[in-house]
Amino acid sequence: MDLTPATFDMDGWLDGRNLVVCVGAGGVGKTTTAATIALHGALRGRKTMVLTIDPARRLANSLGLKSFGNEETRIDLDALGHGEATGELWAMMLDSRSTFDTLIQRIAADEEAKKRILNNHVYRHMADTFAGSQDYMATEKLYDLVAGGRYDLVVLDTPPVKNALDFLESPGRLIRFLDERVLKWFLTPPETGAFGRLMMGTTAVVYKLMGYIFGDEFLSDLQQFFQDFQGLYQGFVERHKVVLELFRASTTSFVTVCAPTESSLDVATFFQVELAARDLPRGGVVVNQVHTCDGATHDAKQVLGAVAEELSADLSPATANALLARLGMAHRRLHALQVAEDELTERVRAAARGGGFYQEVERLDGNVHDLDSLLEVGRRLFARAATL
Amino acid sequence: MQDTATTPPNDTLRSLLDGRLILVTGKGGTGKTTYAAVLAILSAARGKRTLLLEMDNQRPSLTPIFGREPVYTPANVLPRLDICNLTWEQALQDFIGSLVPSRRVVGLALQNKMVTRFLDFVPGSQEIVTLSALGHHVKPTDGAPAYDVIVADMPASGHAFSLLDITRSALGLFRSGPVRTRATELRAMLREASTKVALVALPEEMVVNETIETAERLRKYDLLSSPPAVFVNRATLPTLSDDERKLLERLGQAELDPLQREFVRAGTWEDELEQGTSESAVRLREALEVEPVLVPPGPPGGDLKETVKAVAVHLGRQVGVGRRDLPWT
Repeated sequence: MDLTPATFDMDGWLDGRNLVVCVGAGGVGKTTTAATIALHGALRGRKTMVLTIDPARRLANSLGLKSFGNEETRIDLDALGHGEATGELWAMMLDSRSTFDTLIQRIAADEEAKKRILNNHVYRHMADTFAGSQDYMATEKLYDLVAGGRYDLVVLDTPPVKNALDFLESPGRLIRFLDERVLKWFLTPPETGAFGRLMMGTTAVVYKLMGYIFGDEFLSDLQQFFQDFQGLYQGFVERHKVVLELFRASTTSFVTVCAPTESSLDVATFFQVELAARDLPRGGVVVNQVHTCDGATHDAKQVLGAVAEELSADLSPATANALLARLGMAHRRLHALQVAEDELTERVRAAARGGGFYQEVERLDGNVHDLDSLLEVGRRLFARAATL
Repeated sequence: MQDTATTPPNDTLRSLLDGRLILVTGKGGTGKTTYAAVLAILSAARGKRTLLLEMDNQRPSLTPIFGREPVYTPANVLPRLDICNLTWEQALQDFIGSLVPSRRVVGLALQNKMVTRFLDFVPGSQEIVTLSALGHHVKPTDGAPAYDVIVADMPASGHAFSLLDITRSALGLFRSGPVRTRATELRAMLREASTKVALVALPEEMVVNETIETAERLRKYDLLSSPPAVFVNRATLPTLSDDERKLLERLGQAELDPLQREFVRAGTWEDELEQGTSESAVRLREALEVEPVLVPPGPPGGDLKETVKAVAVHLGRQVGVGRRDLPWT
């Protein structure tokens, strides 16, 4: 099932990266993959940050934390007994609200404006409840971490957004909205504007309509919000440009993470097409939770009969036979699963041709919830991979 | 999947299918769409006019199951079963149309770039509009409802929660006007006794955690009138006897050749899956105070359509829907 024999040097690849962005559907082990890549980078002597979105608590615990906060937290690697780790592993969880607040505090013109924005009715609801604000903030935080220059390698675990690469477009959405022309439009209501009469036509109708639909109070809240944001537009545009450049840099890689299930592979295939279309650097594809099963026969009795008899002498008489029957069926099922998964992954391999490495990571027994098991995942992830 | 001759009736499932609006969600990758499709198929097989819909999905997940892409206008796919996709542009058109009688004004508004940008950005406006389209199928403002049951294949649990919770947070943002009124109506609809939520989980620790968290959030924000039904997908209950497990452990420690080891590994893999199922079931039962519905894995290969069929047969039996009542078998 190898595409090409293991020719891709994963370590060499990682050594040349400053930013790795993990993308993929939910529930495919994306957070685990991101943490594994970061840990591996740290063990190779680099100062590494993994920025993760809502990790399972166990994973946070395993990294030596009760839970992640919005603060950069250093993970103790000594417990790994991996000798002298020369690098550092840091982790942080995205908290949209506080990232947004920090952003405002930094780019607001003065103390007065800052206070007004943070207390603005619309802003507070937007930061708290806006379903897309996590996506904005992931890129915002990224800007912070990478532009800050404190890390050699940043690994971003992206939110499982419905519409694929939306999170990349998000700053664009914010900028589109805060575009000066839009602001001007809203800040110059037809009744009060200097050119009131000229603007009567369509604009007036639409303006009235919005007031009617959303309520006049909301419209005036929003006007206040725009007034406060007026000076910030340039700041947003500049940051967005930097983030876009960062995504396209030669030291950046997008890694598509999936599991061998139809729906997650669909998403992965879609990502391959999208990444290529947007000219974003493709690092490779990781297929997690893959099942493997060797052996052509499913006859457990033939393979294990003698050993099982010997080891069950003190157990109830039917034990060996019953268990052997079960092992035969389990082996058959596991084998069928491997065959089915191999067929499924073929599609993503085809779509990803020319897009870096292809690595399958066998499903681990039990959950990944400590540094040692991350290390184990890392051994598999950073074994030589196939080249797409 | 095993065929058992006598299957006890399942009250959780029956009460779910007796609902008027069934919202299906769960952590990503658990099989939400499969269960939404199965519930809709069972509902139609029970003689109810059923609509299965997804919420503004750019790449509709129902397509591979029914062999056609759901669009905004419901289309019939099986007897008594229609599917649709509540795409945002059309939902918006309907939404504004329902507020403003003049078609000309609606046209003006939708062509206006400022309006589109505005709606693109205003927190919650997209969600309200999409939910509103859903609400319209449940309670049409013009005439009698076309469907007895509406099954919604919601986004993954985190997003589904924000989507539903918009009906609450919008009240803080919009202090007057039709959006506020609509949000109030939708919130009331969600809290009706006939609105049910189904959470789809897997017998894995992380998934169980998220399922419990979702149920707790729904309860905390008072979005539900009754506790959610929980499905544990790909569940296999423990089947090994104590002696058999003991022998399996011994084999695991014995000196074996690689082929022998593969058999032990396969057995251990299955046993761990089974033990994971019973642990997950206990945790869900304790945390949510409902009996989780365990569903064995579908055929290998994960083909969506085949999985839907297998799960429909399995669950159908528990609500008196036989294999022959199902349109596909």
